[in-house]
Amino acid sequence: MDELEKIRELYGEPPADPFLKARVRERLAAEPRRRRLPWTTAVAGLAAAMAVTVAVAVPGTPGEVRPPGQTATVSGRSILLAAAATAEADPVATSAYWRVRKLYRQTHPERLGRGENRYWVVESRLTEQWAARDGRVWSGSRTLGARPASGADTEAWRRDGAPTEWSSRDRVLSMSPEKGRLTAVTGRAPFSMAGRGMTFEQIQGLPADPAALKARVTEAVREGAPTGALDGVVADALSGLLWSKPSPPDVRAAAYRALAELPNVRYLGEAVDERGRKGAAFSFTVQATETVRRTLIIDSASSQVLSSTVTGRPGVVGDQVEVVLDAGWTDDPPAVPGLP
Amino acid sequence: MTALSWAARPAEDAEVVRLSLDESERFSAVFDTYFGEIHRYVAQRLGADGAEDIVAETFLTAFRKRARYDPSRASVRAWLYGIATNLIGKHRRVEVRTLRALGRHGPDPDAPGHEERIAVRVSAESLRPSLAAALAGLHQRDRDVLLLVALAGLSHEEISTALGIPYGTVASRLNRARKKLRAALGGTNPMAESEEAGRG
Repeated sequence: MDELEKIRELYGEPPADPFLKARVRERLAAEPRRRRLPWTTAVAGLAAAMAVTVAVAVPGTPGEVRPPGQTATVSGRSILLAAAATAEADPVATSAYWRVRKLYRQTHPERLGRGENRYWVVESRLTEQWAARDGRVWSGSRTLGARPASGADTEAWRRDGAPTEWSSRDRVLSMSPEKGRLTAVTGRAPFSMAGRGMTFEQIQGLPADPAALKARVTEAVREGAPTGALDGVVADALSGLLWSKPSPPDVRAAAYRALAELPNVRYLGEAVDERGRKGAAFSFTVQATETVRRTLIIDSASSQVLSSTVTGRPGVVGDQVEVVLDAGWTDDPPAVPGLP
Repeated sequence: MTALSWAARPAEDAEVVRLSLDESERFSAVFDTYFGEIHRYVAQRLGADGAEDIVAETFLTAFRKRARYDPSRASVRAWLYGIATNLIGKHRRVEVRTLRALGRHGPDPDAPGHEERIAVRVSAESLRPSLAAALAGLHQRDRDVLLLVALAGLSHEEISTALGIPYGTVASRLNRARKKLRAALGGTNPMAESEEAGRG
């Protein structure tokens, strides 16, 4: 990881504020008369359109894991190898775009409400990544709105007067979904592996041999994270090739096979993701101190990763859950994410 | 109204700005296309609180000066980054305070497509305060160039037009800034060095 990447890492992505753009328009329209910008007159209509509340159902019950044993004698390793075989048999894609569509859920790090009535809220967001064969990449995002985390939180929220908007940590949280946006990713590597920037082309050129792929990933990890335990980061980077990058079928197969040989990847048993889809759960720690852990639910029949849950991140309340709604190739052109 | 930035082309942008001289409502398309990335850049440097004012000021300034915009010199995108950078320069104290906070707490989680950064971020945690301090210690003009490369992804050419400085000056400021950061982070990485040499 060079300094430029470290800088991007340091700054991260500023928090999304769905009302900001409309607010800035309003401010520009409110400038003194001589400066008034005629193009801001559409503000009233826009603000009204954004205020429409849409009820969004986001499944809230956490994925349930059934431990192996009883009837199941199948090992985690054989599940990963089966997934590798499925991945390898995928035809080389001929469609125009690779796309992954995910639902991301995270607890807001501060309790909201007033007085006695304090409650946690969970924020949901749709994210999409698109990649064209010529290397152009787009990133789509749509905030779906916040809602009380649990039944007890919902009751505290009602007692608090059931507000639909909150101000917390320098931004506005709302129960309403935003309009969503799609932006071209330009000027920086659109993907990353172990913290190193990766282009579409570089991903296509990754080794299709498991040992060679693991070596390549390990090398990238050493550069990015010279200290601490590497195994977790290697597992994380390998698994990232399965679900968050346009990896070719043979690279996905190699990633599954390399994961099958990693001692720190634990098989937890059969599991159901938040959308009720069945798969096998695997987990690994991504840090030496064993506090940060990622659990993936994998469907070996389709070789797709169904969901990822990150637990134990310092400064983060609750789990960070990402559910994969769609992954793979399509001829649909990039568009602003639709509501799920 | 849904002007998607991926559909934007530099020549069309310039045409929009030209047409907006007669039909000022056309400037709305420039706002729609670039609001997102200009806000991101300003919010990264000044924090979410300070960003709103500066972004509004950026588009207001661009609108007022649109007659003086020269498409043969700079793309609309670079022109807007230049305006935003000049405005950021007036808020040095806010920027330093933002950097201090970033050094302590780090950024908000997660941009799509960078899932496994979590792991790296955790392992790189210890470097954060020294990186933030080193950035805060740079000359404003060096930091502007460095961050236009790192955060906005502008080329040397675009930075030269955005800030109105010679091409060679962009390169020398960038080199100076990167050298200072490397020194502050300690222990140079031979792999990164050789790769940079190859990049030219």
